[in-house]
This record gives sequence, structure tokens and C-alpha cells, in this order.
Amino acid sequence: MEMTPGMTGPGPDTALQAARLEQPGAIVREVAAARARAGLRFRLVCLFTWLVVVGGFVLAIGTTGRVDPEFLARYTPLFLGGVPLTIFVAVVSIVFAVVFAIVGAIGRISTWAPVYALATLYVSIVRGTPFIVQIFFVYSALPQFGIVLPAIVAGIFALSFNYGAYMTEIFRAGIQAIPRGQIEAANALALSNGQTMRRVILPQAVRIVIPAVGNDFISMIKDSALVSFVGIQELFWRTQTIGSAKFRSFETLLFAAAVYWFLTIIFSLVQERLEKQMAESDRRI
Amino acid sequence: MGSIRRFASLAAAFGLVLAACSGGASPSPSASAAPPSEVPSASANAAQAAPVPGGLLDKIMKAGKLLVSTAPKYPPQSELQPDGTFKGFDIDVATEIAKRLGVKVEFATPDWTAITAGSWGGRWDMSVGSMTITIDRAKVLDFSPPYYGVPVQLTASVASGITTIAGLAGKTICSGQGTTYDQWLNGTLDYGTGQDLGKPPAGIKTTTLSPGSDCPVQWKAGRNDFQGWLSASTEVDAAIKAGLPVVKVGDPVYSEPLGIAVDKSGPADADFVAALKKIVDDMHADGTLKAFSMTWFGADFTTVK
Repeated sequence: MEMTPGMTGPGPDTALQAARLEQPGAIVREVAAARARAGLRFRLVCLFTWLVVVGGFVLAIGTTGRVDPEFLARYTPLFLGGVPLTIFVAVVSIVFAVVFAIVGAIGRISTWAPVYALATLYVSIVRGTPFIVQIFFVYSALPQFGIVLPAIVAGIFALSFNYGAYMTEIFRAGIQAIPRGQIEAANALALSNGQTMRRVILPQAVRIVIPAVGNDFISMIKDSALVSFVGIQELFWRTQTIGSAKFRSFETLLFAAAVYWFLTIIFSLVQERLEKQMAESDRRI
Repeated sequence: MGSIRRFASLAAAFGLVLAACSGGASPSPSASAAPPSEVPSASANAAQAAPVPGGLLDKIMKAGKLLVSTAPKYPPQSELQPDGTFKGFDIDVATEIAKRLGVKVEFATPDWTAITAGSWGGRWDMSVGSMTITIDRAKVLDFSPPYYGVPVQLTASVASGITTIAGLAGKTICSGQGTTYDQWLNGTLDYGTGQDLGKPPAGIKTTTLSPGSDCPVQWKAGRNDFQGWLSASTEVDAAIKAGLPVVKVGDPVYSEPLGIAVDKSGPADADFVAALKKIVDDMHADGTLKAFSMTWFGADFTTVK
């Protein structure tokens, strides 16, 4: 996260007063430099605090004697081998979730009652039932109706169907944020309703919702752990399986938590850059 | 639908003489999914006989591979290795069965509760997962004859200070979610053979974790809201060996016959179950199972009834 120095500037500074008396033009530079110093100090203290807390935590765990480094070293390649699958599940699911969300959002703003009703029903049912129930339903209940999805497909479908419902509302808000004038202008250019949606509204709406979709992607990386329940051998499944078999859930759960945390930090940084770029293009308009 | 076929294959699975009865019922049109004539006598040498077209054996032979579900949280029966492959008693048994069928073996790792619930949807062909043969499971799954059995052991945490079965009366006992141990603790375990399985200590409360091996891990972590743990003696031994604070309480309370399971709702499986029965019988007779048992458990569990 970006740390700001806040309101607390440097205190009364004799050098600054001297500068003010002798050379009024230098004040601006002095203040800017002082702010930069304060900002740097703030960040360093933040970093230090993190290091102390996290380091202290790691040390405290290490000294309990419950962590067997040899055990972790032996299984680390196996655990980390699940990370690509975790990311794969999250990436593919977010793509399909966007598709569900766009369709859902168009339904939610439709003036045709059956379409509106279906879209609203989708959002209501999915948001009104636990995700874990949905996963088991897709995996274990659908085969009774003759629909047998392989585990990986079932997991990805459940994840994207679920997130699609939440993102439907995000996309609806994004679409409705496009000024009416745009639609009127499109009408004036004799664009059909479909063309207006595809070429005028959606491109702008997508740009508006991208930060929110990025947020959802980050939480999806964590929620993807739930697909382990249908036997997909991603990061959490591997740590959980070894932890149970070896009676060492303590180490393996910590390991999984640390890897998920690391992944979300990386993707949060990407997300931050993306948001900045979005803000940039807003300014250009 | 198919109840006659189910009855027939169940009978075949337990090796009962009832097979003759289902042969008598063969003209029933409802058994069209599996020509009933295949059911009763196929046990002679079903692997070599032509499989029922569209049936499970047919599917496996055509695919050239046997897809086996395994729950690799239970060493020494099944365990995930650092290279992502599996090892253990059940893994060896599954591999041997595939070898005798003349096909490759592959493993799938669904959740245990998904395996015992049936309706696999063809995602895997059979379960070699040390599954206790019960009357409830036999409603949705077809079983081989027991390929081995294990004694079931009550244990207590070291911290509880309990050393006798009577000492567990009124306490809370933990076991695996969806397991027969939980059923036994709640008095609902039924093998369907009329066998007396004894009674749990009086006035107990129960709790479950998934998998059950997490119960003693909680004790090690310092959680003591349950005092007992019920599991297979093989798993109890593994826990004690791993240094968990577990003490065995009394003699084993009962033993469980463990079978290989096939989904009833899948393709017609009578000929496959018959072939399976023959392979299991052969593996008992030629000492293969005993050798596996000695390797993985250090004891012969193939004669446990």
C-alpha cells in the first residue's frame, strides 16, 4: 500500500527560518525536501515495523520446535507445483466470470421483463447460497441429471458462475455510469442498440470496472483454495493432504498461508499499477 | 430401476449362493442394461470372457486403463509423495488389480465423502480405499469381497489421563467426517450381516474432523475439547509413531471388513465385479495380499474378519 506522510511536517527548523530570512525563493525547495525526507522516513519505519512483526512471528514459530525445516524442504517443490494450477484456475475463472457478469448486467438493465427476471434470479440465487454448497452441487449433484463435468471444469465453472453474479452488479453500475449523452449520440449516428452496447457503452464500462475486477481476481486467488474439495490438486489441496497424512497440518497450513499472501501481494502491485494507468487515461479525457 | 441387477451384483460381490436366484430372475426386462446371463456364472473367468458391451469392464479394457480413486491422507494405505505420485498398501493393491486385468492404473483424488456417496458420474472406475462394507454403502456401491480388514481402536489424549474404555464414558470422541467410526460412535453402523459390533462407551458425545487423523493433531496443537479418538489401528499406530500424544485405550473394539467399491449408478458392472471378485480371491490364495500387508503394516491383516 502507498504510505503518505500525512499532515505531520517537520517541526520548527532553525535552518528553514534562516533560509526564509536570507533567501525567500529557497523556501519552496526546502519544504519539498523536508517533505520528501519525512515521506522516506515514514516508509522506512513502516518497512521496519513489518520486518519486526513478521520476523518476530517467524522467530516465535521457529522456537516452538514444531517446525521441521527438513520436512518443509522435502515437500516445498510439491507444494509450489500447485501454484501454477492455483493461478490457472483463478485466471480462467475470472475470464468466464466477466462473461457471466456482462450477460448478467445486460439482463439486469434490460427493459424486457423475462430477461430482467432471469438475470435477477441468477444474482439472487448465487449470492444467496454458500459457495461451498455451489461447488459440491456442480460436482456431486449435477451428475444425477446426467451432466458430468470433470473436476477441473466443475471447479472453474462453480468459481466463475459465483463470481459472475457478484460482478454482475459491478458491471451494471459500470454500464449505468456511462452518461446518457453517449447513447443519444450513438442513436444520432444511427447505431443499433446492439452496436451501441458493443462499440460505445461496453468499452467505456469495462474501463470503469477494471479496478473492481482486479480486486475480485485477487480474492479469487484465495477462494480458488475451495476447489480442493473436488480433488483438484492445487496449492491448498497439496498442503492439506501432506499435512494430514504426516500429522503436520501446522507447518503446511502456515506454508499455504504464506504462499497465498505472497501471491496476493504480487497481484496487488499489478492491480495498483493498473489503477494508476486507468486514472491516467481519465485525465487525458 | 435395475434393482435386480443391483441385487445380483451385490450377491456376486459377497460371493453368496444367491447368485443362482438372480439367474432365475434373468428374463426380467428391467435388467436390459446388463444381460443377466452374464451375472451368475461369469465369476469363473470373467476377465477373459467378452465383456458386456458398454459395461464398465468393456470401458476399462477399451481405454486400456483403470482409473482408481484414492484418498492420499491415510498412510500407510495411501500417501502422496514429494514427486506427486502415490504409495501405500491400497496403491499396491490397485496396481496389482490393473496388472491382472492387463491395463494401466491411474489415480484420481476426490474427497472421501464424494467416494462413499456414490454417483461418481464415471469420473473414476473404482475405489481401492480401505472402505468398510456397510449396508448403507451397499445401497449405492457394489463391493468386492473383503481384501483385508483392520481392528478399530479407541484412543485417548495423553492430557486427558484416561486409560480405560470406561474412562471415556460421558466424554467427547472425535473421528473422521463421513467415516464408519463416526457411525459406530453414534450406534448406526450396520454391516448388514447381523454381526454384533459392540457398543460405544456410555453417554459419549461425538465430533468429526476431515480427515480423522486431524483429531490427534489438535491434541498436539493444544486443543482439548474432545478426549477420545476412534480410528483404524493402522492409523493409530502411525499417529503414535509420529509422536502425537495418543494412548490406546483397551483392546480393539471391533474390526472392519474392507472392500473395493464400484459405483452402482455407473455403466453395467456385473462382469467387472465378478472379475474383481476372482482377482481378490486369487490375491488372497497366492499370498499377494499377505505380502503387501506385511510390507506396509508389518502384520497380516488379510485374515481379519
